Amino acid sequence: MKFKGKSWVVPDDIDTDQIYHGQYLPVTDPHEMAKYALTFTPGKENFPNEVSEGDILVTGKNFGCGSSREHAVICLQYNGVSCIVGESFSRIFYRNAVNLGYPVLECPGITKMVTEGDEIEVDLDSGLVKNLRTGKTITGVPLSDVEAEISNAGGLLEYLKTH
Amino acid sequence: MPGKTIAEKIFSRAAGRDVFPLERVWLDVDLAVVRDFGGPNVVLEYDKQFGNTCPAHPDKIAMTFDYQAPAKVTKVAENQRICREFAAQHGIKSVYDVQYGIGQHVLLERGRVLPGEVIVGTDSHMNLLGAVNAFATGCGTTDLTAAWKTGKLWFKCPPTFKVIVNGSLSSPTGAKDLTLFLMNKIGTDIANYRAVEFYGEAIDNLDLAGRLTLASHMTELNIKIPFFSHSPSVHSWLEERAGRKIEPIEADADAAYEGVLEYTVEGLRPVVAAPHYPTNVLPAGAEGVVGQKINSGFIGSCSNGRIEDFREGAEILKKAGGKVHPDVRLIVTPSTKEVAIQMLHEGLYDIYMEAGAMVTNPGCSLCTIGHHGVLPKGDVLISTSNRNFEGKLGRGGIIYLGSPAVVAASSAKGVITDPSTL
Ligand code: SF4
Repeated sequence: MKFKGKSWVVPDDIDTDQIYHGQYLPVTDPHEMAKYALTFTPGKENFPNEVSEGDILVTGKNFGCGSSREHAVICLQYNGVSCIVGESFSRIFYRNAVNLGYPVLECPGITKMVTEGDEIEVDLDSGLVKNLRTGKTITGVPLSDVEAEISNAGGLLEYLKTH
Repeated sequence: MPGKTIAEKIFSRAAGRDVFPLERVWLDVDLAVVRDFGGPNVVLEYDKQFGNTCPAHPDKIAMTFDYQAPAKVTKVAENQRICREFAAQHGIKSVYDVQYGIGQHVLLERGRVLPGEVIVGTDSHMNLLGAVNAFATGCGTTDLTAAWKTGKLWFKCPPTFKVIVNGSLSSPTGAKDLTLFLMNKIGTDIANYRAVEFYGEAIDNLDLAGRLTLASHMTELNIKIPFFSHSPSVHSWLEERAGRKIEPIEADADAAYEGVLEYTVEGLRPVVAAPHYPTNVLPAGAEGVVGQKINSGFIGSCSNGRIEDFREGAEILKKAGGKVHPDVRLIVTPSTKEVAIQMLHEGLYDIYMEAGAMVTNPGCSLCTIGHHGVLPKGDVLISTSNRNFEGKLGRGGIIYLGSPAVVAASSAKGVITDPSTL
């Protein structure tokens, strides 16, 4: 699977309250969740209005630390963010993304080679990321066996229907 | 073949074969828990995917309502009803409704969490159940939906670090100070997705409340699950709660660890975690910390909501003059109904309320914004909970973390105070 899009960049240690604040936890409709994505991340308060379909989120280390809320993945998914490439992810966030069949790539060094707004290309299977502005490339760590099977099936619940 | 760590033993039993670190495996789940947030999402997803078909093991499902208990907005009230109705429909008996308190603590008190079990739940601090050597982990709603339907879930077997903590603590330094000290030393990187086994004199001396304090902070270090040295008193408490003999679970002497970290807490003085990271730990008496004006104090949450914590807070409050400073709002929240009843019997409600504190109903309280006690911009809270992330209790609110003793001393003085100087 390959993605190409404009990048948004957030720093290290963005926690789930910054991605999707606890005050919106009672929400159960994913379209409504999308309205609150990243609105507690400094400088990204207006993200849901500014993001476009197909954009790619680039994150610092430990993205998604904090709560187990799956809302944090869903709110990005429903804003049309096509995939997330991060220095590293908190495990629950990563796991939730895999379970939802949502593309994530762990890619140490990514924030050093992408400036917000750069057009980037991500190949999920090989892990190759290319910055189309600078021409530089870097290779991340693709999903492992069980994770890839689940993600490629479209997520855990789809996977269970066929296994 | 080398011996096994505690994580490897639990994984091997639940998978029905030998499992090694970093392997992904499907495990039988002993208990799958939802809260009143997350829970309704699981129920709605379950209904959408599987219609009226029954969960694999209704007796291995529990619901705990502690996010907003009792509900104050209609949406949450509806969400709780969605959960109750699903439970009634499928014969799920373990519904611990709004009066019970913090889910993990309630489940422990009810004997529903035992050493060696595999437990998942929609709270990122499920892993505090590692305090009794269960493997418990916070999961998203998709995981819970799958676990309810099939009784199984995929996991990665974590490698294990051994952490040895030497030395002994002397009051008013306690388990929270030991915890924050270790948070600062270990940091968020080295043990990422690792299990940790805690050993050493300081750990052996921790009672269940102290183990819960330490265990409830592991999420903030990205540690998958903490395990502890065998404690005869914790073990007999568990047997009493379970109503039967249970097998302890211990690592083999020749188990292979990814690394060994060794620290000493001898002579440790009370500390706080300053804004906005739980690892940003400084002595409570340090310049720039001591004397910091506070607007509210909070004793409670799954890290410090046990009877031992309220005894400690009450003792220090008395020592500091027995009154909460007029400019401070001190909120005290027992973790569970059982703790609340014990507090009543021991006269702790009287001590706190006569001092000017407010004692609330059991629950997560000031640990999430779902409850009471949120902060206006610029207000400073000193709290026994486990997170002080920016904006956690309202945009612009400032949070320090400390022990019940530090919170009590500071609430009495109106400024951050080292309780050992009283
Ligand atoms: S007190 Fe906080 S961390 Fe603990 S269970 Fe409740 S919400 Fe989770």
